[in-house]
Amino acid sequence: MITGNHAAAMAAAMAGRANRSGRGFCSGVYPITPSTECMEFLCLQDIEKGHVVKVESEHSAMAVCVGASAAGARTFTTTGGNGLIYMSENVTVAAYLRLPVVMVVGNRAIGPPWNIWTDHSDSLTLRDSGWVQIYCWNNQEVFDAVLMAFRIAEDHRTLLPVMVCQEGFVLSHTMTLTEIAYQAQVDKFLPPLQLPHRLATTPRALGTFDTSHMIEAHREQHHAAMGMVWSAYREAQADFERIFGRHPPDPVVTYRTDDAQLALVSMGTIAETANQVVDDLRGRGLKVGSIRVCMFRPFPFDALKQAFAGIPRIAVIDRDISLGFGGALWGEARGLAEPGAIVQNFVTGLGGGDVRPEHIEEMVTEALGLTTSGPPVFIGVGE
Amino acid sequence: MNAKSKDPERKGYRSLLRAENEAVLANIPLPLEIRVHGRGGQGGVTCAKLCALVYSRLGLFAQTFGDYGMERAGAPVRAYTRIDRNPIKNRNKIYSPGHLLILDPSLLESGAMGGVRPGSLVLLNTPDPLAFFHGAYEEFRFAVVNATQIARKHRIGTSAVVIVNTTFVGAYARVVGLPLESLKETYSSLGLINDFEAAREAYDSVTAGENINPAAVSPMVTSPGSRSSLDVIPLTELTQDLPTPLKTGSWRTQSPRYVTLKSPCNHACPAGNDIVGFVQKLENQDLDAAAEILFGTQPLPSVCGRVCPAPCMAACNRGQYDGAVNIRGLERWIGDHATNYSVTKNMSASSKKVAVAGAGPAGVSAAYTLARAGHQVVIFDNQAKLGGILRNGIPAYRLPEEALDRDLNRLLALGVEHRPHQVITSVELERLAAEFDAVILATGQADSIAPEFPGIDLPGVEQGLTFLNRVKTDGKERIRGTVAVIGGGNTALDCAGTAVRCGAERVMIVYRRGRLEMPAIKEEIEDILLEGVELILYRQPVRIIGTGSVTGLELAEVQLGAPDGSGRRRPVVTKKLSRIACDHVLIAIGQRPNMGILPSGWLVRNQRVHYDEQPVNIWLAGDLTTGDGTVAHAIGNGRRIANEALSFLEERASCSMELSSSVPEVVTADGMRFSCFTTKKAHQDRRLDVASRIEGFSEVNLGLPIENESQRCLSCGNCAHCDTCLIYCPEGIITRLNQDYFINLDYCKGCGVCVWECPRHAMEMSPQG
Amino acid sequence: MKGSESPHYRRLLRPGNTNCGGCGMSVAFQMFRRSIGETNIQLVIPACCAAVAAGGFPYNAYEAPVLLSTFASAASTASGMAQVARLNGENTRVVCWAGDGGTYDIGLASLSGAAERNEDILFVCYDNEIYGNTGGQRSSATPVGAGASNIIKGKLEPKKDIMGIMAAHGIPYAATISLANPDDSKRKFERALREKGFRFLLILAPCPTGWKSDPSKTVELVRLAVRSGLYPVIEIENGRRWIINIEPDFSRADLERYLSLQRRFKKSEIRPDDMRRAIDLLWEKLRALAGCIT
Repeated sequence: MITGNHAAAMAAAMAGRANRSGRGFCSGVYPITPSTECMEFLCLQDIEKGHVVKVESEHSAMAVCVGASAAGARTFTTTGGNGLIYMSENVTVAAYLRLPVVMVVGNRAIGPPWNIWTDHSDSLTLRDSGWVQIYCWNNQEVFDAVLMAFRIAEDHRTLLPVMVCQEGFVLSHTMTLTEIAYQAQVDKFLPPLQLPHRLATTPRALGTFDTSHMIEAHREQHHAAMGMVWSAYREAQADFERIFGRHPPDPVVTYRTDDAQLALVSMGTIAETANQVVDDLRGRGLKVGSIRVCMFRPFPFDALKQAFAGIPRIAVIDRDISLGFGGALWGEARGLAEPGAIVQNFVTGLGGGDVRPEHIEEMVTEALGLTTSGPPVFIGVGE
Repeated sequence: MNAKSKDPERKGYRSLLRAENEAVLANIPLPLEIRVHGRGGQGGVTCAKLCALVYSRLGLFAQTFGDYGMERAGAPVRAYTRIDRNPIKNRNKIYSPGHLLILDPSLLESGAMGGVRPGSLVLLNTPDPLAFFHGAYEEFRFAVVNATQIARKHRIGTSAVVIVNTTFVGAYARVVGLPLESLKETYSSLGLINDFEAAREAYDSVTAGENINPAAVSPMVTSPGSRSSLDVIPLTELTQDLPTPLKTGSWRTQSPRYVTLKSPCNHACPAGNDIVGFVQKLENQDLDAAAEILFGTQPLPSVCGRVCPAPCMAACNRGQYDGAVNIRGLERWIGDHATNYSVTKNMSASSKKVAVAGAGPAGVSAAYTLARAGHQVVIFDNQAKLGGILRNGIPAYRLPEEALDRDLNRLLALGVEHRPHQVITSVELERLAAEFDAVILATGQADSIAPEFPGIDLPGVEQGLTFLNRVKTDGKERIRGTVAVIGGGNTALDCAGTAVRCGAERVMIVYRRGRLEMPAIKEEIEDILLEGVELILYRQPVRIIGTGSVTGLELAEVQLGAPDGSGRRRPVVTKKLSRIACDHVLIAIGQRPNMGILPSGWLVRNQRVHYDEQPVNIWLAGDLTTGDGTVAHAIGNGRRIANEALSFLEERASCSMELSSSVPEVVTADGMRFSCFTTKKAHQDRRLDVASRIEGFSEVNLGLPIENESQRCLSCGNCAHCDTCLIYCPEGIITRLNQDYFINLDYCKGCGVCVWECPRHAMEMSPQG
Repeated sequence: MKGSESPHYRRLLRPGNTNCGGCGMSVAFQMFRRSIGETNIQLVIPACCAAVAAGGFPYNAYEAPVLLSTFASAASTASGMAQVARLNGENTRVVCWAGDGGTYDIGLASLSGAAERNEDILFVCYDNEIYGNTGGQRSSATPVGAGASNIIKGKLEPKKDIMGIMAAHGIPYAATISLANPDDSKRKFERALREKGFRFLLILAPCPTGWKSDPSKTVELVRLAVRSGLYPVIEIENGRRWIINIEPDFSRADLERYLSLQRRFKKSEIRPDDMRRAIDLLWEKLRALAGCIT
């Protein structure tokens, strides 16, 4: 019985140890609710050839990771909410310098007005930062996703940092039964990191001035590396299953969508509730299904388009809001539906508000009644 | 048009302005695109702005912007201006400019000409004239102006980064036919009116090619390189070291170089010694190398190292910092210690026979020069031993015989023949001229000057030099009573010091000016005072008192008037009289040459004897003709005359370097960077204590204890390999291999730090190109 | 220093870099490189002129591996690099090379953090007393009286006492470097490279472009700043032992010449006399700290 935070910290520590025959493990950390216990737990771990630097800010925490990663070490940090926003400048650096940093984000609303509870707006604000983003729905997935994250981050086809997002408190502070791996398994899954552009003794500058057209080329290459994530992920899934006996989720997971007249689309723990509602409503004769987006960057266009095929009504549930636009997930997904399909956005659960089955049933009811899709609808506001 | 009507808000204002300037605009192809290429700091962006503002004043629409990047002072910069009758909507950079303005000629080779179509205007800032570009750029309207020179003259910018934009736009205005008046208005409105004169100068001096040959293709025109994204190395694949390929030397507007300037000591030395040269060798602990340099010009180092008034030390730049270098002491050190060094001698193919009359310093110097050049030299002198005044007229406590002999033996070792007891008469002179290829007459100032006042013939009155010679030769002279010495030079001091040593009870020096005006060596004055001699200053003897023998001296008080030709203030004798009692009077007011030895009808012109307007093979050297009065002057002149004679004998033009009129610049204290040196007091000569001195004729000055005084030499104007340039060079591009420095001009940005920091002015900046 | 140079020395800042002619930071690099010998140096450079000087991708104007960090993050980025070097038993010396902005201002928090953790880093601040990279705006290192592009009439507030701040962290070694005193500088660079733990060097680095001074006067300006007492040349061991290395002569002529060789003080209402008093107060404090109260 461990929390999401502890699951993340344990996975990170094991991944760190797994690099002891490489250049070791180094992490920069700074506490923020709801990720504090993850960083505390990590600090208490005994990691051979590893060190956790307890810095003075999130901005510096990521800077330590950037420096350590450039020096060839496996790196990890955790934060969320305002911590992530404060860190964001260096978050982009890790990506643009193509450093395989892994970060667990305990999703939290951005303040002030202060709110410490969960909200996907923090990590989604950084959706364009060049990181891979994975959204988890339980503690086991958090543990597994951290290990998977190192694998795809360090893959020479990708060399991209990976953000593993878990909802603050809902996962980070909730204890559930979680299977922890043996170190030997992790060693097998994560070979030592070999960073091709590691700074050693050869004079070489990382991060020098790019002219206009040169930076275009580097962005294009970065974008192409994102495209390599799919195959890297698939191979890692297979290895993971072989070593640990569990199958990490695909980038898009469908649930009872085969003959669905309405699909609920969501990320993280909301999908778990949505699946229950699907079961309930199907019991009442409504043909609904649920689609979970597990990977938001790179965005799984093909998988989602395939999942949407033949479904006339789609309700996209966002635990975030791009103000003046709508939910971020809806924004990406709405163009992938069948022509003529109604794609309605529901914004809910901001700042840690519970998303209960009745909220989702309300969405289903509303979505089934629509003749055309409208502006985003807020559900559960002010309850 | 009054100021009010120029309100830019007024509707139709631009079209009105345009109508007013239609004549000017008729020659300008619109829409017009201008591209400016400059280097960071030259003001390329402002140049483009100025063009835009000038056109805007004519009622046209303008757009202007810089191409900002990572540029620093000196790096290539581009700027763009668009001009049209209508508002401008294109915001891209300019790829095919109608007018191309290049502020730095080195940019021609780095893509500045890219995209320029035949017939376009190309205006280049360059020191080269239009003719230099003959055959190139014929397909363009090509014009050149030397804006850098003009802007530098008007002091726009710094020496390293000259801001040329305002100047350059003047040239542009001329080439495109823009009125100078609208330029002036533009500059005024921007607060740049101080630069307008430079613009006017450029307006007047720009030159443009006449014909355009659209078919010609210039070899240097290249189109801007295009790069495919596939060419860009991914960040994750950059593993090799790629040093920056930029040659920043092209940014430079001025270049540093190493120079050798004249040090003030070398400049001041009458003997022409390379003082910096030998002192620096001493500093490197190479005594023989120091001797080789010193002995190259100086046959009498042990002598000069003792008796020279050392004008070098008076000129020494270090004197204005923490005390002059004790150069005399160092010269003496070499003369006394370089005993293992033997003077080299050339073997002359056509050895000549030269007679030198007179064995004083000038004669010795001439003989030394000639002998070293491989000629046969015979010295004729009326004394038994060589040395002349040095042996007879300077007391041993100042110049011991062994020191003099050490120098003279070096001369004799060169094979110079000495014929003693030869009195040179006019008959003898004629004989020598016939017998020898050349004769150098250096008999010095043989006659002592006697003052013309009553009592001069009284017993007890004697010429100082006669006295000194007698004391030296018999060695037993004793004096009783009081001695008064008349004069203020070294001979006067020598008389006084000798009188003290001969037992005189009281010795006085009577001099008509002040102590500072005394021509004697300053240290010697201090010595003589320590020995108890009294100075009676501003007094002119008018009468020697006594009946049968001297009993006293009547003195008139002197006041100083206006400076005379020598710069010293002329003494004005007053009627205020006083007396002093004395038993002996020694006269030491100077000597004069005896020109009576020249046969009648022989004339001296430029130190050479002429007869019947024709030069004769006799030259005059030293005090006999110059009257400079110091050993160093005599040595210098002796050598110069010997070289003159040699030029004649070897039938070549007088090409002596020393007579050349192109004297290199002398480094003054202002040109030195004293802050680079730590203060270090001069090493003083050791001196015999006063009690021991006056007991006899032992040498008073015992010289330097060790030669490390040489470390104090700042080596003014002469590179001392101190590495200062190398240490401070911001680019790290100065290297040293043994004694040579190299500046890698491929990268030198011309900042001038090396030149400014050079402690000794052995580097200079010169404008590029 | 004389005779110390071989033509085949290791360069740290290579020729062909894009710094302005007469750049004080370039001179500082040349001084530094004479102290590194065969040591493996890794540079961390935050946003500043030294970052631009590295050149355009894929080239490198430094003869060392360089990581260009974000403006505020030099010390923390270097912390990561230094920790990894330690974990791997490497004697790599990680050196931050930051301007005054990346030290006194935006970089102060991460600098303070790394200093407090006593990370094994040498942090070098080349201080040109303005934000030179953005065209010369004021920083907290701008001295009183100096103008900048956003304070034409001169700064009213005194320069931040960064050495006092660093001393307060109790770091093993902190020193100021005078570019006009190469021997003292070489000794300090060597010591700073040798010491373990956090080390801090401050270098007054004239900026001809920003100070509007002649490029050739770069070292001379430092010399005058040192002699006039404006720029104390000191060392601080363990935050406790303050040592004055060069005694100024406090000459008014040097102060006035310092001010006259640059145009940034031209429009200031601060007079040399005001500066004189500030210098006196500074030295009174320094002497007390150095235990030689006069």
